[in-house]
Amino acid sequence: MRMNMYLRRNWHLYILLVLPLAYFFLFKYGPMYGVQIAFKDFNFFQGISGSKWIGIDAFKEVFQNQDFFDALRNTVLLNFLDLLVSFPAPLILAIMIYELKTSWFKKMAQTVLYIPHFISWVIIGGIVLQVFGTQSGFINNVLSGLGIGEIPFLTDKKYWLITYLTVGVWQSAGWGTILYLAALTGINKELFEAAEVDGANRFKRILHISLPGLKTTIATLLIINLGNMISIGFDRPFIIGNVAVRDYSDVLSTFVYRIGMESGQITLATAVGLFQALVGLVFLLGANYASKKLADESIL
Amino acid sequence: MERNRFAKMARLGVAVTLISTVFVTACSSNNASPNAEGGTASTKPSSLKVELFDRGNTPAGYTITNSYLTNLVKERFGKPNNIDVQFVPVPRSEEIQKLNVLMASGTEVPDIVFTYDSGTFNRYAEQGGLTDLTELMDEYGPNLKKFLGEDTLAYGSYNGEQFAVPGRRLVLGKYASYVRQDWLDKLGLPAPQNTEQLYETLKAFKEKDPGSTGGKVIPFGMTIASAQYESLLWSFIEPMTEEQRYTLTQQLGSNDFPTLLPGFKNALQYMNKLYNEGLISKDFGLDKDKKQLWEDVQSGRVGFYSEDAGELYFTQNNTYKNLQTNVAGAVMTPLDAFANSEGKFAKPTYAPNGLYVMIPKSSKHAVEAIKYLDWMASGTNLFDIQFGIEGENFTLVDGVPIVKPDAAQEASDKIYNFGDFAVIVNGKFAGDDKKNTDAYIAQTPAEYQADMRKSVEISNTDPITPVRFDHPIAAEAKYGNGLADKFQEFIVKATMVKTEQFESTYAAMMKDYMASGGQAILDERTAAYKEMGSK
Repeated sequence: MRMNMYLRRNWHLYILLVLPLAYFFLFKYGPMYGVQIAFKDFNFFQGISGSKWIGIDAFKEVFQNQDFFDALRNTVLLNFLDLLVSFPAPLILAIMIYELKTSWFKKMAQTVLYIPHFISWVIIGGIVLQVFGTQSGFINNVLSGLGIGEIPFLTDKKYWLITYLTVGVWQSAGWGTILYLAALTGINKELFEAAEVDGANRFKRILHISLPGLKTTIATLLIINLGNMISIGFDRPFIIGNVAVRDYSDVLSTFVYRIGMESGQITLATAVGLFQALVGLVFLLGANYASKKLADESIL
Repeated sequence: MERNRFAKMARLGVAVTLISTVFVTACSSNNASPNAEGGTASTKPSSLKVELFDRGNTPAGYTITNSYLTNLVKERFGKPNNIDVQFVPVPRSEEIQKLNVLMASGTEVPDIVFTYDSGTFNRYAEQGGLTDLTELMDEYGPNLKKFLGEDTLAYGSYNGEQFAVPGRRLVLGKYASYVRQDWLDKLGLPAPQNTEQLYETLKAFKEKDPGSTGGKVIPFGMTIASAQYESLLWSFIEPMTEEQRYTLTQQLGSNDFPTLLPGFKNALQYMNKLYNEGLISKDFGLDKDKKQLWEDVQSGRVGFYSEDAGELYFTQNNTYKNLQTNVAGAVMTPLDAFANSEGKFAKPTYAPNGLYVMIPKSSKHAVEAIKYLDWMASGTNLFDIQFGIEGENFTLVDGVPIVKPDAAQEASDKIYNFGDFAVIVNGKFAGDDKKNTDAYIAQTPAEYQADMRKSVEISNTDPITPVRFDHPIAAEAKYGNGLADKFQEFIVKATMVKTEQFESTYAAMMKDYMASGGQAILDERTAAYKEMGSK
């Protein structure tokens, strides 16, 4: 009875939830019906339910494919390097911005830093070519003008990795500062003032007040990042990558695109997708568990 | 209270239903009216739905499904045959994805669909999604069969059943090479005839920089698109036996690849030498769409390159015109620079087919569909669709239709998407082979037509025609796209690697290529060849 009263009084709140819930069921849970394609010899004309079951043949075929393992290795490699480089960057930037006292400069710096986030990867790809190209790139033109030899930023594997990471930091670091800045604003100002009175210098204040205040945010973002270790965006490796460096630039998302969309091997592509989801889940739970043990912070 | 609310809801529901019913009826009666107008014939008209590419370029005053050409079809084909023809627009850029969805739905799919992708065609045929057209074409498509001819028709058969009407391709030549004649003249060099002479020429271009580019000269313009390197690669291929041709060729997608043919390694070695001596575009591995190459040619940095024959004369890119505007006195001459060991200028040509036009198995209007294609192939129908109206769109010169360069916008708008209607042909069909070539050449500006004719001749010299078995090779369907990517990687790596590492890179790439499906294709082709001989 009491429950009934509660519902009658607050039903509006539940109605508000309907739309997001419907979204998740329609676009996140509904498509899971298609997961069975990974275990079927998918035929366009017989549909999902009409296609024959083939057990785990698709997985066997995937695990025999050397390209798959290369793509898997590259996915983890690129994500791991990205984590080393791109993860601390917004943190450092946010602390630096927070320490700024001139408010107009603070705002401008913030805007300038996160504008790249809104540029599409296709356009960034064009810019990268103009800047890093060997023959007509801006940097190499300057270098050869100075009499220094050209550097193959895009066509040599090792240089390409550096280019890939740099472009990633440039594109995402500014945007990543937003969360940290929000968390920093949440820290009690009196703590800083008290520390200043006690004679703590700026570095000490950052070390003992800002960073501990960001602990939860850092842990949360780290867990999310680790959970995404096995999945990788399509645009960045596809557009920044090229034939000469495919050894490093072919990742799971581009691999799935090639076999699924280009070659029409839907079954194999689904199998890879499912594998990716399962490994991603393991990573996520693992990171969450570790974080709970080590820092007493978790999101689940 | 509770009851009352329910009653209110119910009334609202009824009202909504009523309104929507009225609305729906209104719409459907709207749809029905054009049928009623044409309903002078006693029987109920049958219907035909035809796929039509939508490139988003419909001129003002028309819509994609209501233009001069849709009306021409309805008027000339629909009315006399009592068939209500409807066009189903499909966005050009996502054609295959959309087609897959339509085909899977079974009911929404048009009666006539098409794709350029042989893999998609083979998959549909293999999965049993297409109507067998053998008998239908005998009965309803005599003009169509005559127009296409046996050679072309064979491309639409899958294991002996005619599952597609392949469009007939008119221009079969692919490539020609081009050299800066003014540079040759300045240095007093002859036009190179083979790869050794070409090497000397390229070196002279680099060292003497006859175009005064200030060290920016690109002696040999290169990209990762096949037009730039295929002529070169195939000139290194040694003479082969019939058996070698069948078993060692690898068909990936719709092209034949020379990966396993004798001489392929020498070709790569040559490219490696050119690259390491700075004679080839340095970033060619990044240039997928030839944009960089065209820019380099137009700004006068490129001394020599191979390309789709005549590309530089067409007004679409205006490559030659822009070059001559940018660099006064620049002359680009078509030539054949790749003689093989037999002294022949052998180079690949297109297979004689274009689009795969298909009728889905679920279609109930296969007869109408064949009638439509047959109508297109008969009389002047195809000609009128492709060329428009005499005097408005074109003039006849010696029986060859020449597009009027000063045609009114209104006239060109009429046939703005003629190519997407004329699905049974690839290229403009003017009447016979000679007229077709003349009409093709006449598409370029008058001052370039002599060079254009030379380019077309070059592209047809010593053609290497594609090798085809009477049934598709399963391994090629499966590994084709992946291997085509591997092939590009092969070329780029073997070319860019330091000369002393060439051998090891070549061996590693070849191993990778074979493991990724190359071996499977070789085995299947060898078996298929044996079977062919025993028949």
